[in-house]
Amino acid sequence: MSHTAYSDGDVELDADFVVVGSGAGGSAAALTLARGGASVVLVEAGAWRDPDHYPVSVYGAMRDLMDDWGSTITRGRALWPVVQASAVGGTTVINSAISVTTPGDIFAQWRDDYGVGDAEFERNVLEHETRIESELSVNEVPPPSLGRSNELAILADERLGYGGHVMRRYAKDCEGTGQCLQGCKKGRKQSTNLAWIPEVMERGGHVVSCAPVKRVRFEGGRAVGVTGRFKHPSTRRRGGTFELRAKRGVVIAASATHSPALLQRSGVKLPALGKYFRAHPGTGVMGLYDEVVDMNIGATQGWASTKFRESPGLKLETLSIPPELVASRVGGGGKKLMARLAEYRHMAMWVHAVRAESTGTVSNGMFDKPVVKYTLDRADMERLRRGIHFVASMHFSAGAKRVVPFIHGFAYDIGPDELDTLLDAPLEPRSYVAILSHLFGGCAMGRDRSSGVCDATGKVFDCEGLYVADASVIPTNLGVNPQHTIMGLASHFAERWL
Amino acid sequence: MEKDPQVGQESRGVRWLVKRALLAFFPESDALPGIASMDVDGFVDRYRREASGLMWLGIVAGAVVFTVTPLFTVYRPVPSFWLSADTLDRHADRLAGHRLYLVRQLVFLLKMAGGLCWGQHATTRERLALEPYPADPPRWRTT
Repeated sequence: MSHTAYSDGDVELDADFVVVGSGAGGSAAALTLARGGASVVLVEAGAWRDPDHYPVSVYGAMRDLMDDWGSTITRGRALWPVVQASAVGGTTVINSAISVTTPGDIFAQWRDDYGVGDAEFERNVLEHETRIESELSVNEVPPPSLGRSNELAILADERLGYGGHVMRRYAKDCEGTGQCLQGCKKGRKQSTNLAWIPEVMERGGHVVSCAPVKRVRFEGGRAVGVTGRFKHPSTRRRGGTFELRAKRGVVIAASATHSPALLQRSGVKLPALGKYFRAHPGTGVMGLYDEVVDMNIGATQGWASTKFRESPGLKLETLSIPPELVASRVGGGGKKLMARLAEYRHMAMWVHAVRAESTGTVSNGMFDKPVVKYTLDRADMERLRRGIHFVASMHFSAGAKRVVPFIHGFAYDIGPDELDTLLDAPLEPRSYVAILSHLFGGCAMGRDRSSGVCDATGKVFDCEGLYVADASVIPTNLGVNPQHTIMGLASHFAERWL
Repeated sequence: MEKDPQVGQESRGVRWLVKRALLAFFPESDALPGIASMDVDGFVDRYRREASGLMWLGIVAGAVVFTVTPLFTVYRPVPSFWLSADTLDRHADRLAGHRLYLVRQLVFLLKMAGGLCWGQHATTRERLALEPYPADPPRWRTT
């Protein structure tokens, strides 16, 4: 087993495959390649932290686990944060480990609209997803770990018929510590740094961490490796250089923002590169209850509904956040802010995410930071507003006395009689504090080089030995949590590279 | 938290501006502790040292905007640090809901930094019936 962390000296390594990025896609690809007998170097920009290294505070999580302190924001009508991790294990370390099988209509859409995949492709991806469920111990959040916020959502769902369910997650015996976003210190969440990457190493793989890749190297039109310089995880000081050479292929799995940016600065020129960026922009709605909810006790996310995924295009779920984050979300300042924060124990935060049809672009910016240009169109803003109404309805149904919709230019909170006023809330993106949590596209699969960056095996058009295996290949918005799809796709691709 | 001995005179001025703004946003209330009791100097020094340049720039810009805008919120042509306690409180609240998006975004960053300091403090967590956070382990795998 071998691992190279930050180094002041220069590092050179050779392998059959170099995989850039160790999140859901990169680790799934690396594991499949390693199980197939290939030698693999897995390179990751962030540091490798085990559960006893995970931070406990949100400050620590932003510093140690988030990509550049979570400072990537969309440039468009509104400045919305793009949530991604930078750590061995990628975003699987900080997400809620939600597992949803790729909906069948998605494969049909890829086939019909984008010329990607066939029946065998669908069958193979789904077979991988089934295997992954078993390997990563996917199961429902156990009732004792739900916590009151999730229980209230289940109650509302029963009353309104929203067709929801207790979430199925990659977690073994979740204890409901409410710390998913800071990494599960109990080690229950099966993030890839715990579940898969050790096996890659046992099979002879090498992990290089604290190593942001600068560019892909080509020789005669073939990708032959990657280069970059180490970056210290604490001081951010630059260290030695690294050159990782690949005999058979270079796999890019650095995320829907970093993968297109890396290919662009490596000189890849394809018309679709950096285009068709999509996301699930979402926003929270807070219910204020007479009873004590203590949303930070219990599973961070435990209930979801995809009933409205196709129409109007929404996903509903619970999401508990700690006081640190509530403090910036709640409106006002001074005494008014403190009076609102005093209700923290009575708050339940539930969210909705829009299956948005708007598309954006990703490009390589200064200091290799991806630039995301993205604005929701009017139809998507109407969905966003509708979603707030859905979630507010749930809160009132569960017994909330007031609901806080977090809309600028609108009442801070509303009562049950004012619910429908939400349907007239502004459609201006700047009136909302939304977050982009699920990202797609930028290196989308397509029929040919004019419509996509890679084919249905993840191979980049016009570039021998260069592959993509992360959310950036997904050409459409899924409307469900994408980790399972990313892992299934990356595993399917990697089998074909062997 | 210790104050950063390497902070120069200019940085001390910036720290003071940031601190003044944070104190205005998170005052003590009957139910909750204020940020004033939480070593804000140490937090701001640490934030300056550890946060990304963009995040630090954002809260400095937010603090500057907070300082120079009382004329537009509470109609007083003075910097925010000359306002009376009640007027300062009104200024903080009105700025947080300002009609200009960029101003709101800067205040959001300022409140986020303040929230990180205030929300993780043991006293705040105790009042909210949450276990205190142990110290964040500054470690990662090196081999």
